[in-house]
Amino acid sequence: MSKEALVEVKNLKTYFYTEEGVVKAVDGVDYEIYPGETLGIVGESGCGKSVTSLSIMRLVESPPGRIEAGEINFQGKDLTKLSEKEMRKIRGNDISMIFQEPMTSLNPVYTVGDQIMEAIMLHKGVDRKEARRQAVDMLQKVGIPLPEQRVDEYPHQLSGGMRQRVMIAMALSCDPQLLIADEPTTALDVTIQAQILELMNSLKESYGMSIMMITHDLGVIAEVSDRVAVMYAGKVVEYTDVDTLFEDPKHPYTWGLMNSIPKLDKDVDRLEAIPGSVPSPLNFPEGCKFNTRCPLAEGKCFDVEPPLENATEGHKVRCWRYKDLEKIKERGERIYEDRGVLD
Amino acid sequence: MAENLLEVKNLKKYFPVKAGVFKRTVAHVKAVDDISFAVEEGETLGLVGESGCGKSTTGRTILRLLEATEGKVIFDGKNVMDLDKKEMRAIRRDMQIIFQDPYASLNPRMTVADIVGEPLDIHNLAKNKQERNEKVKEILENVGLGEEYMNRYPHEFSGGQRQRIGVARALAVDPKLIIADEPVSALDVSVQAQVVNLLQDLQKEYGLTYLFIAHDLSVVKHISDRVAVMYLGKIVELTDKKELFKNPMHPYTQSLLSAIPEADPKKKKDRIVLEGDVPSPVDPPSGCRFHPRCPKAFEPCPVKEPEFKEYGDGHFAACHLLDK
Repeated sequence: MSKEALVEVKNLKTYFYTEEGVVKAVDGVDYEIYPGETLGIVGESGCGKSVTSLSIMRLVESPPGRIEAGEINFQGKDLTKLSEKEMRKIRGNDISMIFQEPMTSLNPVYTVGDQIMEAIMLHKGVDRKEARRQAVDMLQKVGIPLPEQRVDEYPHQLSGGMRQRVMIAMALSCDPQLLIADEPTTALDVTIQAQILELMNSLKESYGMSIMMITHDLGVIAEVSDRVAVMYAGKVVEYTDVDTLFEDPKHPYTWGLMNSIPKLDKDVDRLEAIPGSVPSPLNFPEGCKFNTRCPLAEGKCFDVEPPLENATEGHKVRCWRYKDLEKIKERGERIYEDRGVLD
Repeated sequence: MAENLLEVKNLKKYFPVKAGVFKRTVAHVKAVDDISFAVEEGETLGLVGESGCGKSTTGRTILRLLEATEGKVIFDGKNVMDLDKKEMRAIRRDMQIIFQDPYASLNPRMTVADIVGEPLDIHNLAKNKQERNEKVKEILENVGLGEEYMNRYPHEFSGGQRQRIGVARALAVDPKLIIADEPVSALDVSVQAQVVNLLQDLQKEYGLTYLFIAHDLSVVKHISDRVAVMYLGKIVELTDKKELFKNPMHPYTQSLLSAIPEADPKKKKDRIVLEGDVPSPVDPPSGCRFHPRCPKAFEPCPVKEPEFKEYGDGHFAACHLLDK
C-alpha cells in the first residue's frame, strides 16, 4: 500500500505497575491503519488488544498504567506526547470509540439526545438547537425508528441493540477519521449483531473513515476487516490482509484459533483444541510467549523471542518455526495432538 | 431406536409480574410457554435461541430448580413434577447441571476436593473419607485435573479449569442426564474447544445424555445430534442437526443461520437481517410470536398461532408457511 498511514503505532509499550509486579499488557506492538480501511485486532482475553486501543485514546488509567515507550503517529502528531488539553480536542472528534457494553458507557441520568449533543456542541461549537437537529439526524442515520421521539429517551428505555446504535451515533456525530470499536457486538444477540455489523460497514463507506475493530470472534473479523493483527500476550504474532490470514495462517496460535472453532459448513469429529490457557501477564515465559502451549516449541523457542518478520511480502509472523508449520499443513496433519480425556 | 430418557410435555413456566402497594400480580412473563420435546438415551439435544427465549428456564424447570407452572417432565418413566422432596433428591443423582459461569457457580471457600466430594456426601456414595478421596481423585483425573489440585480453591484456577471442576462435580454422582447451560460461552475461544472435546469424551465413556443449552449455533451444531430452536418461550423448529442446517424450515431458523458471521472472508452470504428486537415475553405478539419480525409473514400469522407439527421424517416446525 503506497498510501500514507492514518495511524502508525510503533513499538508501543503500555505497562501497569501493580502490587504484584509489572503487568506488560502491551509489550512492543507495531501496526498501521490506512485511510478508509478496517484493521481487525483479534486475540483472547488478556492479550492486550483493548489496552492498545485505550493507549491510542490516551485513556489508560495512570497510575497504575503508563505508556512506557513507543510512538502513536496520527496526522503528523505523536499522540503519546500530547498534553491532556490537546488530546481532548482529538478524542471524540478525530478519533472516537465504542465499547462492548453500551449500558455502562452511556450516562443513565441524561437522555440519549443530551449525550449526543454534548459531543456536537463541544467539538463543533454550534448552539443547542442546531446540535439537537444534528443529533436527530444522526439517530436517523444509525437506523433508530422515530428519532424525534427517541432523542428524549433515557438509555434504560432502549434495548441493547438500540443502545449500541446510540453509541455509534454519538461516536460518528463529529465525523471522525478513526473509529475504534472494542468488541461492539459481543454483548448482543446474533441477529442484532448482524444488524450492527451491517450498519458499521455501510457507515464506513458513506463516511470514508477507518475502523479499528477489536474482537475475539474470528467470524466478525472475517466479515469486516481488510487487514488483521493477531495478538497474543501483549504482542502482535501475525499481521496480514484478511484473505491471506484465513487462507494461509502461519503462526501456530492463529492456526489453532481457527481450528478450535466449529465451522458451520464442515463437520469434524473433534475440535483441534489448543492446550493450556493464556499465561498470566505477571509471569510470561522466556523466549516465545506462546511456547507453553505450542506443540512445535523447541530449543530456541524457549530462549529467544522471535521477531515479527516478513514470511512473504506483506505477511508478517512472529515465530521461529513457521516454515515447519507449513510442512505439517502440506501433509494435511493436525498440529494440536489429541490427548483425550486425560490431557 | 433408543428409548426416551427425558420427555417434556406441554411445559409452561410463567413468572408473575407484581406491582403496586399490595404487590398484586399484574401480568406474567411467559418464559416457557407450552413446549414439548424428548431426549433419547445417549444423545445430545441442543437447545438454541437468543437471550430471553426461555432456554435456560427450560433447563432449570426440568430439574425443578424452578417449579413449573404446568406440564409434565417424564424422566426414566417417572413424572418429575409429582415427586416429593425426598424422591426428588434421589432423582437428582441421575440428572445434573453444569452452569455457564464457572466463576459464580463454585463456592470460593471450598476446596476442589470438597466441591466435587459434596454430591458424594449428599447421596451417601462414599463409605468413608478414604473412599471419598479416592473417588474425587478419579473423577478429577477424568476431567483432566491432577491429584495435586485437590486441596486448592476455585480462585487459583483459570476459567477452563474451573469449568472442568463444574463438570467433575456433575459427574461425581454418575448421572444419566446432564443439562449443560451455556457451558462454554464464558470461556476463551481456545479453551472452549478443550471443554467441548471433554464433554464429548465423557459422553462416550459414560454413555451420558446431554441437553446442551447455548446461543452459539456453531458449537451446538458440533456437539448435538438433534437441535431445537426456541423463540420467545416456544420451540419453533426441532430436527436432526444435519437436516436443520441443510434445510431450515422456519424463517426464524433461516435468519438465525444466516446471521452467524463465519470465519471465511471469501464467503459473502445472502444475509437475512431481521428488523427490530425480540419483543417482551410479558406481552408476546398475537398469533405467531415471530410475525412482527418475519420477512415472510402473511394473513394468518398475526391472528392464529401455528401448530408445532411434523413435516417429514422427524422434522418438526411451527409455521403457517409450511401449510400453504
